[in-house]
Amino acid sequence: MGRRKKIVEECETLMNTPENIRNIAIAAHVDHGKTTLTDNLLAGAGMISDETAGEQLAMDTEEDEQERGITIDAANVSMTHEYEGTNHLINLIDTPGHVDFGGDVTRAMRAVDGALVVVDAVEGAMPQTETVLRQALREGVKPTLFINKVDRLISELQEGPEEMQERMTAVIRDVNDLIRGMTEEMDDIDDDWTVSVEDGTVGFGSALYKWGVSLPSMQRTGMDFGDIIELERNDKRQELAERTPLSDVVLDMVCEHFPNPVDAQPRRIPRIWRGDADSDLAEGMRLVDEDGEVVFMVTDISMDPHAGEIATGRVFSGTLEKGQELYVSGTVGKNRLQSVGIFMGGEREEVEQVPAGNVAAVTGLQDAIAGSTVSSVEMTPFESIEHISEPVITKSVEAKNMDDLPKLIETLQQVAKEDPTIDIEINEDTGEHLISGQGELHLEVVTQRIERNQGIPVTTGEPIVVFREAPQTESREVEGISPNRHNRFYISVTPLDDDIVEAIKQGKASMDMPELERREALQEAGLDKDTSQNVEHIHGTNIIIDDTKGIQHLNETMELVIEGFEEALNDGPLAAEPVQGSLIRLHDARLHEDAIHRGPAQVIPAVREALHNALIDAEIKLLEPIQEVRIDVPNDHMGAASGEIQGRRGRVDDMYQEGDLMVVEGVAPVEEMIGFSSDIRSATEGRASWNTENAGFQVMADNLQPETIKEIRERKGMKTELPESIDYF
Amino acid sequence: MLSFVGLGLYDERSITVRGRDVLATADQAFAEWYTSRLAGTDVGTLEATHDIEIAVRDRAGVEQHPEPILDAAEDGHTVFLTAGDTMISTTHVDLRLRAHDRHIDTQVVHGTTAQTAASSLTGLQNYRFGKATTLPFEETHGGVPDSVIETIRANRQRGLHTLVYLDIDGENERFMSGDTAAALLASELDDPVGVVVGQAGSDDPTVRADRLSALATESFGPPLHLLVVPGDLHPIEEDSLSALAGLPD
Ligand SMILES: Nc1nc2c(ncn2[C@@H]2O[C@H](COP(=O)(O)OP(=O)(O)OP(=O)(O)O)[C@@H](O)[C@H]2O)c(=O)[nH]1
Ligand SMILES: [Mg+2]
Repeated sequence: MGRRKKIVEECETLMNTPENIRNIAIAAHVDHGKTTLTDNLLAGAGMISDETAGEQLAMDTEEDEQERGITIDAANVSMTHEYEGTNHLINLIDTPGHVDFGGDVTRAMRAVDGALVVVDAVEGAMPQTETVLRQALREGVKPTLFINKVDRLISELQEGPEEMQERMTAVIRDVNDLIRGMTEEMDDIDDDWTVSVEDGTVGFGSALYKWGVSLPSMQRTGMDFGDIIELERNDKRQELAERTPLSDVVLDMVCEHFPNPVDAQPRRIPRIWRGDADSDLAEGMRLVDEDGEVVFMVTDISMDPHAGEIATGRVFSGTLEKGQELYVSGTVGKNRLQSVGIFMGGEREEVEQVPAGNVAAVTGLQDAIAGSTVSSVEMTPFESIEHISEPVITKSVEAKNMDDLPKLIETLQQVAKEDPTIDIEINEDTGEHLISGQGELHLEVVTQRIERNQGIPVTTGEPIVVFREAPQTESREVEGISPNRHNRFYISVTPLDDDIVEAIKQGKASMDMPELERREALQEAGLDKDTSQNVEHIHGTNIIIDDTKGIQHLNETMELVIEGFEEALNDGPLAAEPVQGSLIRLHDARLHEDAIHRGPAQVIPAVREALHNALIDAEIKLLEPIQEVRIDVPNDHMGAASGEIQGRRGRVDDMYQEGDLMVVEGVAPVEEMIGFSSDIRSATEGRASWNTENAGFQVMADNLQPETIKEIRERKGMKTELPESIDYF
Repeated sequence: MLSFVGLGLYDERSITVRGRDVLATADQAFAEWYTSRLAGTDVGTLEATHDIEIAVRDRAGVEQHPEPILDAAEDGHTVFLTAGDTMISTTHVDLRLRAHDRHIDTQVVHGTTAQTAASSLTGLQNYRFGKATTLPFEETHGGVPDSVIETIRANRQRGLHTLVYLDIDGENERFMSGDTAAALLASELDDPVGVVVGQAGSDDPTVRADRLSALATESFGPPLHLLVVPGDLHPIEEDSLSALAGLPD
């Protein structure tokens, strides 16, 4: 029997026994060795040949990934591993480490129950280590730790056993501090989720040279750090890898310490699904019932040149079969499954059916996007997968050839489906579309793929940052009058508390949830009781309160009122940028008796204008996105490094020694950070490594406001002078 | 001077003699065509008949930017024209108040209106009509507004008739037809009797009474249409509907 055929048979048997399945993600800071590790696990498990693995990064299959040497798309693979006499099916997602592609990590976490967090032994825990841990824990995904690149400690840094031990203890302590801080308030996690060498939840080794150890493996092989240092120093890596192979150590850890779906789902379901806990549906998901209703959460959409659009995700209950007609959340009608499959090794293999507990890849769900809930009965969808960071940077794209216009629109729509951390604004009139994403690299990759993979030559504009507008004080009550003057609305606006904004951003309070639950969530975040009872709508991070009482016809006018509010909030009064963090109160309304005289043409402009006036009265200001910056640099370049932050309207918050490097930490506006890479490289003669992470929005300094607003208005073709009432800058 | 002149129900000849005389002395004429229109004529014919140029203003040009009308009225005698009457279903009282604010003299010259036709063509007594309502196009209001149903129900509870104006989308030349309206209301109202009036003001108006579900399957000729949902019927009213509107027994 050929190897491939054997793998297929093995996987098909295993996928029917959820107790023997492990769904896991590998996550880490950029470049800490996730893909190298994935490759070697696959090779060690016999899923790909040894030669393919390792330096070539077999799992970074895309041309641009190979060129840039980083992972861009999360990759699904699977392997089998025998542990304590039982064979296991391990579905693994290799995630990207670069911040710009963090959305892939967030989504992968929904599909898995365990996260293997990789930390580079030399660099230690870094900003993205913290971020991926947070992403995992928020989804109720259990972490373990693999400390990678230990070979460098031995061969490059020439460390002895004690120094090595110290270093690793420090890494473990840092990681545990993070886990402890994040799980403290999670009452669904009773167990201690910190990691330790003694428990066997920490592994060490070298993904590149294919060796690894853990306490259980040391006990089994009798090898200690002294032996390892000895072999590594004497260039006997081959022998080292043979005596204590990486894949056995890591895969044993995976089988032993990560929960199987049957253990994990009862805990995870309440965390990610707000439907009725007493329903059969809930029961089916808790029990991983293969005979229950189909519940499939799509976490990834990708294009296959042959099969077309593939939706990958987690089957929480029921069994997926070709030909099933399934509901897709947020759309009407059903989609028919054209094929179902699972991953075997690095490839997708079609099978007859995929039961609950597995990661499946299907075709035919043309209405699904990354994040859709797909099911055999209509149901409350899963919690939306909120990525921590909103898009902060925008670029225009335009097809070079007229003939490509429709194809470009189609491609952009596909991009939006595959990557929810991107915002696409299609403008059919001008043909100049806008793509907003997480960072410069994100946009570069997207536009490059449009050109290369789709063969559509495009011109792109300079990257510009995304702005927000937010009220700063409480407004007076403002009157809005409809064009026919028969309808009047009385509203006021005040800034919303940060805690409440945060709760909305994290999806803790949304219009998708039952009213009672939303009310409680808002109260918990600090909204007073009376106000929370009158919430009429939430738009972005803005809340609309209906404080009116018994106004005739307001009910059937409310939809238009909300439309007016939404229009006003989407295009703020300063520069038509989205408004955030406002609490809007409708105090009173006077309406025309007849529906036709209070239609859209009357109500929407009245409300829109009133809200804009109220926002101006609340001294609305422009906000810009900011980034946290961390630079690791040798001592003699530290001045230059901190200068690079300060020179960008930035602020240095901390400077400290770590190992033989200095760490500079601070924040700076994203706008000023455009082009940072090349500047910091030349300022430090290429000796610095740096990380940036989006850190939300911040009010721009007053002296910069008028100028920036004018620039944006000019760019958007608006008239540049502001309403006279804006006189507070 | 600003004169509000109603053009009446159907064509260039539906205006009153007094209205024609006022129009003849005008220096400038404006019209609004978005709330209603004369189905039997067009602006060109009106202009030719009355020998005056008529500037048609869109909604924004009346509601948000009425200044040109008011400026003209300050300088000379200006007429503002609408189909029907200028102050009944289309309430242009706001324009009149604005003129008043600018100390411009105003007058109103009445026109016959759907309200008149609803009584006079059907034989339903004017005294027995309750509140009127407009049925908007389904898509602009996401279905039938509750207030429309409530109005008809409340009227019927008190035995009163309801005049239902049918939506007009002037920009796109769309007019809601009587059968569409009957279909929309039939299911919401346990299918009472309704009366559709079409081409009111013309030589040959249509008047038909039946259950709404039956009206929903008929067609009533070219626009405009209106619908009446009667309340309790007085014997004379019942006779009228049978004789004049073909109400089945
Ligand atoms: N010396 C040494 N180098 C390693 C080891 N593991 C990975 N590397 C190297 O580190 C670099 C990054 O490895 P990747 O596997 O691409 O890292 P990654 O975490 O997948 O990177 P992203 O997906 O882009 O975040 C490559 O040059 C690897 O060869 C290791 O154990 N020892
Ligand atoms: Mg990688």
